Amino acid sequence: MKILVAVKQVAALDEDFEFRDDGRDVDPNFLIRDLNEWDDYSLEEAVKIKEASAEAVEVVAVSVGPEEVDEALRKCLAKGADRAVRIWDDAIEGSDPIAIARVLAAAVRREAPDLLFAGVQSSDQSFASTGIATAAFLDWPHAAVVTQLTFAPGAATAVFRRELEGGLLQEVEIQCPAVLTIQLGINTPRYASLRSIKQAAAKPIDVVSLADLGLGAADVGEGGSASRVRRMFVPDKGHAELIEGSAAVQAARLAAIIREFKGASA
Amino acid sequence: VSRTDAVTRILFESFSAAEVRLFYAFGYAAIAVFAYGVYVQIRKYRRGAPLKLDGSLRRRFGDMVAAVLNHRTLDRRDPAAGGAHRLIFYGFVLLFLGTSTITLEYDILEPLFGIRFWHGEFYLIFSLVLDVAGVALIGGLFYMMVRRGWMKLPKLDYARPDRVRGDPDFDRPQYRREDWAFLWILVVIGATGYVLEAARLVWLQARPEVWGVRWWSPVGAMLAEAFRALGLTEHGGAVFRHGLWWFHGLLALVFIALIPFTKVKHIFTAAGSLMVRDPLAAQRLPRIPDAQEQPGAAKITDFNWKQLLNLDACTKCGRCHEACPARAVGAPLSPRDVILSLREFAKKTLESGTVPEAAELDIHGKSPGQVAQETLWSCRTCMACVEICPVAVEHVPIIVQMRRKLVEDGAMDPLLTKTLQTIHKTGNSFGESKRKRAAWTKALPFPVKDARKEPVDVLWFVGDYASFDPRNQKVTQTFATLLHEARIDFGILYEAESNAGNDVRRVGEEGLYELLANANVAAMGEASFKTIVTTDPHSYNTIRNEYPDFGGKYQIQHYTSFVKRLFDEGKLHVTKPLAYRATFHDPCHLGRFNKGYEAPRDVLKLLGCELVEMGRSRANSFCCGAGGGRIWIPDPVGAEKPAQNRIKEAAAIPDLEVYVVSCPKDLTMFEDALKTTGNEGKFVVKELIELIREAIPARLPEVTAV
Repeated sequence: MKILVAVKQVAALDEDFEFRDDGRDVDPNFLIRDLNEWDDYSLEEAVKIKEASAEAVEVVAVSVGPEEVDEALRKCLAKGADRAVRIWDDAIEGSDPIAIARVLAAAVRREAPDLLFAGVQSSDQSFASTGIATAAFLDWPHAAVVTQLTFAPGAATAVFRRELEGGLLQEVEIQCPAVLTIQLGINTPRYASLRSIKQAAAKPIDVVSLADLGLGAADVGEGGSASRVRRMFVPDKGHAELIEGSAAVQAARLAAIIREFKGASA
Repeated sequence: VSRTDAVTRILFESFSAAEVRLFYAFGYAAIAVFAYGVYVQIRKYRRGAPLKLDGSLRRRFGDMVAAVLNHRTLDRRDPAAGGAHRLIFYGFVLLFLGTSTITLEYDILEPLFGIRFWHGEFYLIFSLVLDVAGVALIGGLFYMMVRRGWMKLPKLDYARPDRVRGDPDFDRPQYRREDWAFLWILVVIGATGYVLEAARLVWLQARPEVWGVRWWSPVGAMLAEAFRALGLTEHGGAVFRHGLWWFHGLLALVFIALIPFTKVKHIFTAAGSLMVRDPLAAQRLPRIPDAQEQPGAAKITDFNWKQLLNLDACTKCGRCHEACPARAVGAPLSPRDVILSLREFAKKTLESGTVPEAAELDIHGKSPGQVAQETLWSCRTCMACVEICPVAVEHVPIIVQMRRKLVEDGAMDPLLTKTLQTIHKTGNSFGESKRKRAAWTKALPFPVKDARKEPVDVLWFVGDYASFDPRNQKVTQTFATLLHEARIDFGILYEAESNAGNDVRRVGEEGLYELLANANVAAMGEASFKTIVTTDPHSYNTIRNEYPDFGGKYQIQHYTSFVKRLFDEGKLHVTKPLAYRATFHDPCHLGRFNKGYEAPRDVLKLLGCELVEMGRSRANSFCCGAGGGRIWIPDPVGAEKPAQNRIKEAAAIPDLEVYVVSCPKDLTMFEDALKTTGNEGKFVVKELIELIREAIPARLPEVTAV
């Protein structure tokens, strides 16, 4: 019995950030990295199933990313994952969620788990598509935004709840193996003490290449993606001004502003 | 046999040989029971984790003997109890030593070497001293009875704040019974000693070597006169003496046999505890040995032998119970009860022949003997308990070691979890970017040196609250300006500074603490400076006392002593003396932890303020409630907060104008408490730095001739 948990190291903006030279992303020097919040919950859900089970359950955290992602994976190991897999090749740089899903699907085939968990979305990119796209590549049953899960290791199906609009709940039974994307609040993720993170350094992180998964450079990167970021920018802020003073003063200021916008001063 | 030789106390006169043998049999039995008890106790301590004591054993022994003899720790905050205990202690010691000299001559020196000394003048002085000692003992015991029976001191009430009425271990009546049994047995032993003496005098009144010197035993002689007046005959005295002799003797032997099994053992455990005391118990918490698999204390056997001895040293005097700020505001914690719970647990599990399974050694929980999470998280690690304990029980490391286990299990308030994660991620508890740590310098009209880039005289370790909290930033800017005006060559570490970790360590997140300490030690290693100054007592404590364990040995001063020296050296001058009526709140980490009581008071007086002390000051200062990570844990809604309790104390000072603090967290806590207790407008809370600024107004810009 095995549960694979797809996790991502997300980036958050630091103070006074700058964009990369090509203008398509933030300069990595201005990013603070951490494990995606949703993945904290999906990993916890897998570890909870493992802890409640009489039969042996292996929880494997898998991530696509460069070496720095090991830090996020070590956090997963500290919280109870048995093993971690990191897939990387420089060609993966620039991949969109579909290309990432293709890589993940290949990793899932290799690991052959009973369930694949992913977070509903990542806090930095918010595509909310990696998990479901992986299911599409695998041709597995899938469900998004799971808020409660009942699963006995070894069972052919899992039962879960999803929250719908208007306060409705949906209870669903799904055939395993399946892909579930997990919503925040499904559980209370445990605290990984620094000591346990340090100790997790002794647990293995398998580094897997594209070739190991039977994929080539053409399957990933911009070439393997269905979409491409053109540019990233901070929109111009609109501004408002409260005009104070007597009616005459206010009228004069208003006229000045209108002239300014018309460019009439020239 | 000379005349003086005859003046001695009869021992077994009129006893048959069989009776003497029987008495010896009882004596040996008592010693055997005592020895077995001692063995069981020592075996219990040895079942704890190993610990290697540092320092010289001889000095430890000397310090212990001095503390026991001068009773200084018992006098503190309760001189009457100290005095009464002194009477009991010296009375008991003299009676014990005196009685021992009888054995020394009768059983050892005389049979082996034929030496006799126990007669004549020696005996007479002995008689007098022991009679006086008996009065002291009984007098002290009676006062203790009055305390327990009539004064009803709250600190002697065993009702627990961490249990509710109806719980099996709520107020522990067995303690009360033991207290009274202890007092009465000693009183009866003492009283029967006098009566026995009187009976003997009446019985032997015909012998001049007895009756003639009777006033050397004044109490016994008075009683003898009374007995005679009441009609006791020589024969009656003989019979009375014989029966009472057995009663008194057996009671004393029972008392000795029971020492290791009852509270009487504090005679040894308290002395032992004083001998192994760590003067920095709360200031410098223990590291987790690399070999240790589980961090912290999960099982009773995770405590080291010294801590198990600490548990047995407690005499339930209640001084810690009284001093604890958490207990004072109704939180489910009394340091006394943590110690007593664990003591009961150790007694139950570690005094039997074999140590039970690991599952039965779990000290976390709500069963009798276990300590609940809420109790552990109520602690502010303010050190009030450790500081006042007369027998050197070290509560804070015990509590923190138990918290380490809770942290490992993630059993803590969600807000605290979040804060620890934030500190791990950003290096500060505010969740701000590292780059913003020195943002407060931007508003200054002069640059602040980057100590990583150029050598400075003074490295200012700013700390989280002083760096990020908007209200404290103003104080920080003021202090920078004062340093600048005093022409001090100072710098800061900018984004290389991390949270100092003092409170992270006291929460029990040792791994994160190590990370922070190592990061700061590395950052300071990059800088070149002569001394460190900080406005934050928490940072001050950990850098001063704990960083040396991480290779960071520095000279560090809290700003109060640094500023005091600037005044002394004439680098700062008061130009506009203040006339405020002020009181000063000793921050735990500056005062109790590091004895920095004088400098802030000296500065306040230099500024011209009238200093009015609160009832609880200096070593007895009352924690603001923020210590030990409690600043990151919400207080229960509706309940009084320690800071409010404190502000109410200050508000009772007539015409108080300023409540002076010298700690960034104090400023936050007490400004809040001032508002929530409705005292706003009556007096103000100010950082000492702000008062200094007021007394030394900024210089006018110098006009330079062109």
